[in-house]
Amino acid sequence: MNQATPESNKVDSSVFLTISELRKSYGSREALRGINLDLKRGEFLCLFGPNGAGKSTLLKILATLLRPSSGTVQVLDYDLEEHAEKFRANLGMVSHQSFVYQDLTVLENLEFFAALYGVQDSQSRALELLEEVNLVDRYDMPAANLSRGMQQRLSIARALVNDPALLLLDEPYTGLDEHAASVLRDQLQKLHSRKRTIVMVTHNLRRGLESATRLGILAHGKLTYLQEKKDIDATAFEEIYFKHLGAA
Amino acid sequence: MSSLHQIRFLLCKDLRVELRKKESLVSMAFFGALILVILNIATGIGKQVDAETGAGILWVAVMFSSVLGLGRVFAREKENGCVAALLISPAAPWEIYVAKALVNFTLMVLSELVLVPVFYVLFGAQLQGTPLTLVPILLLVNLGFSVTGTLISAISAGTRRNEVLLPILLFPLLLPLIAFAVKATSAALAARPFAELLDQLEPMAAFCVIFAVVGYLLFPFAIRED
Repeated sequence: MNQATPESNKVDSSVFLTISELRKSYGSREALRGINLDLKRGEFLCLFGPNGAGKSTLLKILATLLRPSSGTVQVLDYDLEEHAEKFRANLGMVSHQSFVYQDLTVLENLEFFAALYGVQDSQSRALELLEEVNLVDRYDMPAANLSRGMQQRLSIARALVNDPALLLLDEPYTGLDEHAASVLRDQLQKLHSRKRTIVMVTHNLRRGLESATRLGILAHGKLTYLQEKKDIDATAFEEIYFKHLGAA
Repeated sequence: MSSLHQIRFLLCKDLRVELRKKESLVSMAFFGALILVILNIATGIGKQVDAETGAGILWVAVMFSSVLGLGRVFAREKENGCVAALLISPAAPWEIYVAKALVNFTLMVLSELVLVPVFYVLFGAQLQGTPLTLVPILLLVNLGFSVTGTLISAISAGTRRNEVLLPILLFPLLLPLIAFAVKATSAALAARPFAELLDQLEPMAAFCVIFAVVGYLLFPFAIRED
């Protein structure tokens, strides 16, 4: 893996991520019950589902924060568990938790993570991202003094610091005002146009539908629905979603 | 990127926050000094203590004050899920472990720069050994405490009552180290021959090596959710 990272070795492979028979149990409770999924490079998958459906568990496994009980996740034919440390350099995550240090300033937070990811000239990269999320005028403010929406914008900048090939988003719109939500949407569209693969889980149908290229519904730890967005209109999907919610 | 760089970034981040807020450092130094004052009153103000009692008093103050800083170093990572951000970064868990142990070590050294002079002011009138002879003992205890404490604080940080669990899990593990440290310190305070001191320093060094290896091996499991 030293010379051939998942990212560098097979850049043009059509299937980017393959999830096979993925299961995760917490004691006797099964959070994921056999997930199978292929994702192509540049796809934007949005997963919807009720609380406790296993959405966050799935994202945590993709982020290498949790190990699956069984099944595999392969990124460009490399097993994620075996090559986790190398793959993390190409991973970004936005969660409902901001993942930022309250006692560091906005700029220090980004510089720290940029340095950790080995970004050359971490200060320039940090300032560039602050410009993109409209926080450049708050660069010297401690993160603790930012509003919830601003913290989430900082969190988005933090997740993009390494220009990730795979971006995972766990309820990223939670607590965002309209401005912050539009900043996030713009960033996602920009990443998507640069062929970055994105997996988002959310309850927000409108936000999910406006960005995704593929839609999925997770219920009771199973992927009960998966469809290209171009093959279904928003109203029909909403009906299907609420049917699945009712069944769950 | 080299592990040395990752450790340096992690260490600098924690020290920057600590030196800015001084939360751990002030509470460690103040609490330790308070213990020394209380023990000075308990043993009788103005009464002189022998080297054995003095050694016990010094290590009670250092151990109890150090555990305050230890808990705070990981509590900061738990806020806003920052520990998850570290775990999904290219930094290896062992690099996080080494950086955290170095932060704890540094905090202990800084608080001892206050505690040892206070100890000598309150109890040092009849002690023959110079404070310099304490340096190798303090450094070894700091190292042993840091490598063990970092592992235990990672385990206890994931629990609801971590501030209670941390000393309960940590102090029994540190008992051998503290026992050797008390013997070595009493030899140093009584200005006994260096060979007597060395007899205690060797097992202390062995303790540090063993728990550093244990911490290196177990930390990746201690810090994860599953």
